Amino acid sequence: MNKIAKLFVTFISAITLALVSFTSSFAKVDGEYIVLGSAISLTGKYSSNGVHTQNGYNMAVDRINKMGGVEVQGKKYKFEIIYYDDESNPKRAAQLAERLIKQDGVHYMLGPYSSGLTKAIAPVTEKYKIPMVEANGASRSLFTKGYKYLFAVLSPANQYLEVAIDLAVEKNGGKGVKIAQAFEQDAFSQDVRLGILDAAKRTGSEIIIDDKLPKELNDMAATLAKVKAVKPDVLVVSGHTKGALTAIRQISEMKVDVPMLAMTHCDAAKLSKQHGKKSEFALCASQWHKNLSYKDKFFGSGKKYAKDFQKEFGYDPPYQSAESSAALLVFKDAFERANSFDRDAVRDALVDTEMQTFYGNIKFGPGGQNVAKPMILFQVRCKGDDCENRVVAPTKWASDKFYHPIPKWSERS
Amino acid sequence: MEKVKQKDLILYSCLIILGLAAPYLFSAFKVQLTYLCVLIVLAMTWNLQGGEMGYNTFGNILFYGLGMYLTASVQVGMFFPLAEWTESGGEKTFVHTTAQYFQGIGVGLLVSAIVPAVIAGAIGYAILGLRGHYFAICTLGLGIAAGEIAGGIEIIGAGQGFTTPPFPAEIVDTEARGKFFYFLSFALLVGTFIFVKYIYGSRFRLILNAIRDNEDKAEAMGIQTMKYKIVGWMCSAFFCGLAGGIMGGLIGYIDSTDVAFDGREMGVFMVLMAILGGKGTLWGPVIGATLFHFFKEGLWTLILGWQYVALGVLIVVIVVYFPEGLMGWLREKYPERFGEVIDEKDRKAQVELK
Repeated sequence: MNKIAKLFVTFISAITLALVSFTSSFAKVDGEYIVLGSAISLTGKYSSNGVHTQNGYNMAVDRINKMGGVEVQGKKYKFEIIYYDDESNPKRAAQLAERLIKQDGVHYMLGPYSSGLTKAIAPVTEKYKIPMVEANGASRSLFTKGYKYLFAVLSPANQYLEVAIDLAVEKNGGKGVKIAQAFEQDAFSQDVRLGILDAAKRTGSEIIIDDKLPKELNDMAATLAKVKAVKPDVLVVSGHTKGALTAIRQISEMKVDVPMLAMTHCDAAKLSKQHGKKSEFALCASQWHKNLSYKDKFFGSGKKYAKDFQKEFGYDPPYQSAESSAALLVFKDAFERANSFDRDAVRDALVDTEMQTFYGNIKFGPGGQNVAKPMILFQVRCKGDDCENRVVAPTKWASDKFYHPIPKWSERS
Repeated sequence: MEKVKQKDLILYSCLIILGLAAPYLFSAFKVQLTYLCVLIVLAMTWNLQGGEMGYNTFGNILFYGLGMYLTASVQVGMFFPLAEWTESGGEKTFVHTTAQYFQGIGVGLLVSAIVPAVIAGAIGYAILGLRGHYFAICTLGLGIAAGEIAGGIEIIGAGQGFTTPPFPAEIVDTEARGKFFYFLSFALLVGTFIFVKYIYGSRFRLILNAIRDNEDKAEAMGIQTMKYKIVGWMCSAFFCGLAGGIMGGLIGYIDSTDVAFDGREMGVFMVLMAILGGKGTLWGPVIGATLFHFFKEGLWTLILGWQYVALGVLIVVIVVYFPEGLMGWLREKYPERFGEVIDEKDRKAQVELK
């Protein structure tokens, strides 16, 4: 046993030496590069949205670098991002944030994908006073903790589907409606649920089904069977990309008739492409849509962004990509206004952010959430077999009228 | 004999000094070192089950997750209403003072050691009658069920997750938190090692081995196998719970299936590490966990997006080429270093006989 112990000691000391020689800290600003760090879900259950996020970041980095970069104290800098894969796991994300800050010397962070992971990373960035601009953590509880270094370019999750309930009530002649809802067991979806509860209380609506869906969800037939039996006015489903896909698949399979179907993550799931006509009339909450009239000098309009994105990555940008790109615009703006690489100066500049990007207006509230941009709702509409997301609310940008109620399956061709 | 002990003493004191100095030598790697300590503890306690007793369990993650939730709940619940804490996400409305924080985590860890041990006793009584694959599958179910149940309990945050109390703001030193959790986990590691080492020199281990090698015979010899199996599992649960409690505090955010009852990762890792190092040995899990952790931290980022493929390959390689783990492989190659005497004459005689 003793010899083995010796072997072990040798092994340990070898590693010790390796570590000592390796402990070199990179600079936050490396030559002409401003180094940002991000842990992102490249594998695991959030991998598709993680990639949307990464594409959004990369697109903006390329664009900003190409258009002259960031000017601080008269010198031009370029952005560079260090990525790690957090495997869609909060534990890993927190560890990687620590690693980015302590080992890679990153002083400015970009957010991960999903509220759960942002919740895990925020305490770390807060501890080390690292400004983090995040684009994919919408959970309300992120903004009630008094975090000082967290900035989100998106609207909080509880606002996602509140508007949908208002719409339903309006269509019902101002009377309360019967709501059936099913939400995934995760931070984001549970917050969407809280928003619905608030809206229900406000409008005097009644919640008749309130189901929880497991993570990694592939089946919600039990909920849908209940929906078939009790006939609610609105069915609300939220469970990231998989939730949206599962809902449409099973609703069409089981021929569930419901006058209104409200969801999240329709565009990330590419519903209109993947399920075509089956997804028609689904109402979706979105942070952004390419038809909105916002503009900036880097990406032009939303439509231009969508076209460039399509060219670069081969698919229509979901809002997850757009908001991620916007995060870098925010950083660039903050660096230039701070005119310094001091973290606190950058943080103070972030607080004062007030700008328009192709993605929308950005101004941070006291909790760090974006208060300048409303949520929008779109509805999937088809012409022949060609389906598209059309904005139906708010009325300022609505390109189409909201179609209500959804025709019964027996009447749909 | 005396000489060997002296050598051991030197080795152990070297390791302890290294362990104590590590957070100062590699200040930037404190979190990873803390993980390493916890991983070693998990591998060692799994080894008691899977290696010594021959009961391959995937259920130890249950105790790890329980410990995590218990420590955090006690730490909050001692001073504030738990339901309001999780409802509001904590932090802003309720702030632990320095004393409250440490008292809370102390009591929390105590609870997180005892309760899982008791639960292990109760569950063990019910399911340790199962053997082989049946036991493995049954314990696999335990971890999954626990995750789903925890995800539905509102008072511990349900699907929203549970934000554990932040490190007291009065301690200005940003390194203090890292050091605190490192030394906590290092203390746990030392405690676990001493305990396992003690077991290795005791009759208890022989009984566990007897159960592994032939349970029916062991029973026929008059050993109350059930009793020992339960006690063995309770020992594992005790340390797993503590490990979970420390990790919860370190991570700062508990999610039911991804952080606490994380059978897919931690639950598999602890088995993998023990097998990699060599199950049924004292040093095997330690070496296995260390190697695994370095592999994971060093290589995973180089093969971004493919790390799980690499992990799969690693598992296959381990199972095919090192079925007995590194220690088993070394033992076969250099048996004399393990104190096994081979009688050359006898060996030759046997070869000739064939």
